[in-house]
Amino acid sequence: MIYRGLELKEKIISSIIISVATVSSLLLLAMLIFILRESWPIWSQIGVSGFLFGSSWRPLNTPPEIGILSMIVSTMWVAGGALLIAAPLGFGCAIFLAEFAPRPLAAILRPVINMLTGIPSVVYGFLGAAVLVKFFEVKFDLASGESLFAASLILAIMVIPFIVANSEAALRLVAPEYRHAGIALGVSRQYLTLRILVPLARKGMLGALVLAFGRAMGETMAVLMLAGNTLRLPGSWFDKGEPLSALIALELGSTTPAGSHYQALFAAGLVLVLMVIAVNIGINLLLNRLQKGG
Amino acid sequence: MVKRRIWLSVLLCCILAFTMLAGCASNETGSENNAAPTEDYSIKIGGSSTLAPIIAQCADSFTEEFKTWDKVDTSLPEEPIVIFVSTGGSGFGLKSAVDGTFDFGMVSKNLKDEEKEQFANGSITQLGSDVLIIGVNSENPVAQVKPDLTTEELVSIFSGKIKNWQELDPALPDRSIVVTVRDLGGGASEVFDSAVMKGTPISDEALQIPSMGALAGKIMDNKDTIGYVSSGLVNQNPDKITPISVDGIAPTLENINSGAYKIGRALLLVSKDKPDNMEQKFLDYLLSEKGLGVVEELGYVPVAR
Repeated sequence: MIYRGLELKEKIISSIIISVATVSSLLLLAMLIFILRESWPIWSQIGVSGFLFGSSWRPLNTPPEIGILSMIVSTMWVAGGALLIAAPLGFGCAIFLAEFAPRPLAAILRPVINMLTGIPSVVYGFLGAAVLVKFFEVKFDLASGESLFAASLILAIMVIPFIVANSEAALRLVAPEYRHAGIALGVSRQYLTLRILVPLARKGMLGALVLAFGRAMGETMAVLMLAGNTLRLPGSWFDKGEPLSALIALELGSTTPAGSHYQALFAAGLVLVLMVIAVNIGINLLLNRLQKGG
Repeated sequence: MVKRRIWLSVLLCCILAFTMLAGCASNETGSENNAAPTEDYSIKIGGSSTLAPIIAQCADSFTEEFKTWDKVDTSLPEEPIVIFVSTGGSGFGLKSAVDGTFDFGMVSKNLKDEEKEQFANGSITQLGSDVLIIGVNSENPVAQVKPDLTTEELVSIFSGKIKNWQELDPALPDRSIVVTVRDLGGGASEVFDSAVMKGTPISDEALQIPSMGALAGKIMDNKDTIGYVSSGLVNQNPDKITPISVDGIAPTLENINSGAYKIGRALLLVSKDKPDNMEQKFLDYLLSEKGLGVVEELGYVPVAR
């Protein structure tokens, strides 16, 4: 009797969990469908390649010129650049915290790093605009200090906590047998960490990187205040540019619903979402292959 | 224990679902509470989203001050004052004023002659102007060397044809010009386009700044910057932003009010018929010191009294 009751309860619980999970994936699907529907006229009139690879954004001209290549390139520079800065720092910090840091030091460092995630992005943007931009202008005698690099720098600080927390968790999840075996064999601590633990934890660490990349691509406020928002195709990391998120935040307020400008911004939003999803899927495929190979 | 926990989670799920459903439904009530009991004693105003905050604020203080019409003027009936303000853009304001949906249309643009004709039997009341001032950093020598630019020079600067201060005038330093604009498509850039650029595209190297305040801040921080700033912000920072005259006309209050200074748009209330007594009283209130004070407070240039 008791046994049957338990079974029933488990069924109820699992059905609740399944329905909640279904609802959240349906939400994502519904959102994608809505964005696609709002932006449909752009895709059918201008075409996918015309929209993605057109480098001229003048949605108010007649006829409008709608191409978001410069924004896509800016987004890649900003987010990729942020990871370039944040990955070594974040991984190093995670390895230090997980393996080398004395316990009291780690107990202080960890909450401090986690606290970085709690700072609102507008504050980061404001700090960047007030300090970094000014610093570049004075130090390098630039006409104006905004650049994709400045945005990357601030974004790097914003995503480091994510990389640290997730990589550290991944390192700690490595089964203790490996650690014991390493110690028993008498290898140095460095060897144990870098040759045994890190390769075993690489899936989680790469996952941390992907999460950070997704966040960096979608981050808006800090980027909006630092990237300069020029429409020119950026030629390097140190040029100005207008990432997709900044474009949408800047212009959506002044559009009229169902106008081509509005639809174009929704299309840009769809591209941004798909870019994040593509990175996630890509890294998962890569990880699966790594697992099979290793 | 386990059993209790399950029921708790089921209960929580139900509450969650109900609150979500309730959230969808509750929007529709509430606004009907202040509906007019008798429509004859209400004034309906709609249109420009630039003007709406001004009119709404004035309508609030007008209603609060008098409460019923007979307190405004003893010849009016003792009915509560009700003024509706809704937004929808200047075009919508014009159209609805003509077809009678609203008693007054709010329009924030300079009317063409054929648009003015539609209101020949009615009224066109200007409350003030939304003026953009070409500003530079006060430390920039251009403020002394060339405090007056022609429209052609402005077009060259903002379209990116002139990229260096020295190209503008040999006495100026050899530094690049930092052009700052508001987001393309917004109200301010529309005004600037119709008054100065006239369709010439803005340079693709121009920095688009998300707010007027930030744009003024950029000019104050960076001495190579030029940009168009709302008049209110220039007046608040007289030592840090220097206004530049355009075609010899300085953006002074007299020039703005006489219409000589062109970079701006009028803030208008239009009506198809002559305003009746109640409507006229509200117009008088808008044009009184209190009404124009609100115009100035929100960063616009009130019309000369």
